Amino acid sequence: MRATQMAPVTGLRPVAPTLIQIRNLKKTYAAGRVQALSNINLDIADGEFVCVVGPSGCGKSTLLRILAGLDDYDSGQVMLGTKTVSGPSRDVGVVFQQANLLPWLTVRENVALPLRVGGGRPDGADDVDRLLEVAGLKDFGGRYPYELSGGMQQRAGICRALVRNPRILLMDEPFGALDALTRERMNLELQRIWQSTGKTVMLITHSISEAIFLADRVIVMSARPGRVLRELTVDIPRPRSNDTIISHPDYPALAKEIRALLTGQGEE
Amino acid sequence: MSKPDITLAVADPTIESAPASESPPRAPRPVNGTLIAGLGLVALFAGWALAVRFLDVPSYILPSPAAVWKALWSGLAVSPSDPLGYYLPLWGTLKNAAIGLAAGGGLGLLLGSLMAESRTIEKLLMPYAFALQSLPKVAIAPLVVIWFGFGDGSKIAIAGLLSFFPILINSFTGLRSVDPEKIDLMRSLSASRFETYRIVKLPNAAPYIFAGLDMAVVYALLGTIVAEFLGAQQGMGVVITQAQAVTDVAGVFAALVILGAFGILLHGIVRGLEQRVVHWGNRGRK
Ligand SMILES: Nc1ncnc2c1ncn2[C@@H]1O[C@H](COP(=O)(O)OP(=O)(O)OP(=O)(O)O)[C@@H](O)[C@H]1O
Ligand SMILES: [Mg+2]
Repeated sequence: MRATQMAPVTGLRPVAPTLIQIRNLKKTYAAGRVQALSNINLDIADGEFVCVVGPSGCGKSTLLRILAGLDDYDSGQVMLGTKTVSGPSRDVGVVFQQANLLPWLTVRENVALPLRVGGGRPDGADDVDRLLEVAGLKDFGGRYPYELSGGMQQRAGICRALVRNPRILLMDEPFGALDALTRERMNLELQRIWQSTGKTVMLITHSISEAIFLADRVIVMSARPGRVLRELTVDIPRPRSNDTIISHPDYPALAKEIRALLTGQGEE
Repeated sequence: MSKPDITLAVADPTIESAPASESPPRAPRPVNGTLIAGLGLVALFAGWALAVRFLDVPSYILPSPAAVWKALWSGLAVSPSDPLGYYLPLWGTLKNAAIGLAAGGGLGLLLGSLMAESRTIEKLLMPYAFALQSLPKVAIAPLVVIWFGFGDGSKIAIAGLLSFFPILINSFTGLRSVDPEKIDLMRSLSASRFETYRIVKLPNAAPYIFAGLDMAVVYALLGTIVAEFLGAQQGMGVVITQAQAVTDVAGVFAALVILGAFGILLHGIVRGLEQRVVHWGNRGRK
């Protein structure tokens, strides 16, 4: 399965088993007064890269937090593999919007944090130094977060999410705070990491170009209460580059359609 | 923390007459803080000495700087074991204050942690914390002396009582002020409650706890002296009351100078400790 992931995907994608299954998911806040998610149905295949876009406040973060086991839900079914989600899982790594590193720990200690809490080092844990090297942070392991740029901090955050070698990576606007150029570089690196590890990724973004660049499939959500408005498959071969992606014949139509779906409901 | 950012820009005509846009911005002229403080001190002593001399202030109201210096020297230039010197009483006072600080501060941190971790314990203890907080605690001192006697026990108890509150409130506030995303991070890692406390909440609270400790050090010293006023065999409080009994005002002043110097020294130690422990400083809190 890993082998099929590494090969450039062209045309028909290999049929992978479903890893994340969401059925009729409903979620309200404030004792039922705020309906955040109305009726979410979504399947994500093993090894798939899914990007979620939608108007602000439509419940994207809520959906991600439910998948991460950080929030509970009112009704419906959320399955990771064959297990119902009822709390945080070792199979899931979360990347937060701000890199969310602990300022009192060095970069290496931050990345190694998942190995020393929650029951210690799991089998198959990744090597911290190898991850730092992959992320281009080899020489920064002993530094503190405030000595790193925003992009480097976010890379360290991704390393931390990967160190337990989870099957699923959940990312909530991970590059939202970065400048456009850094963001493009981070997208390239994320694609590379994803291709070399075969993780299943769900990434939330506000950027249409980022969504198309990264995703096998873009999920467009409706305004609150959130539900899945449309799923768009992105059949652009990998590895993609920031230059070639916009000149791909599918790109303009995809971008236009996503934009129309979002503006059709008063997005930003 | 940092030196006050005083600039002499207004008094500097070259800045006022400079064209607003073209010249590069001038760095504010550095102000030598030590120099200014030193000059202020010299002026204070000079004014003091002159006032005593020319206004005919009786020495039992305000002794001259020279008389205070003499009293100070007579207490310092003795062997450390001389019962008439400052060393034995100072040691007694500092020791009791330190034990009280450790006990009161430790209990404050413990209860502050429990209150921060549990809403039930918070609801249970917070009313008492506030009630005792608003009570002028020095007023309890006579009662404490009745309970603990005139020995070291009452000194330690009052020092502990006074240093308890700043640590309790500050550790509680600091532990509660954690960015929720950091808690989410630890939850996503299935970290235990204690792991979250130790790795995230406690370091997050460290600057608050040090601010509390800064206050608590002074309060512990204050509490010990007050207890000594009420009766003790030894201590700086005893030095002060004995001098007062024979209207040796210069002796009282000399003891106050010693206590002031130690207050500053302890404050400096806490600051230095904080800079070592909270090394990520303000830069970490973006
Ligand atoms: N803890 C909470 N209590 C009450 N309401 C909440 C809470 N968290 C989120 N909400 C509400 O639920 C809705 C969905 O929030 P969510 O954060 O999931 O949106 P989002 O799609 O991630 O938005 P954004 O793109 O701005 O990050 C919002 O209307 C929000 O006001
Ligand atoms: Mg969000």
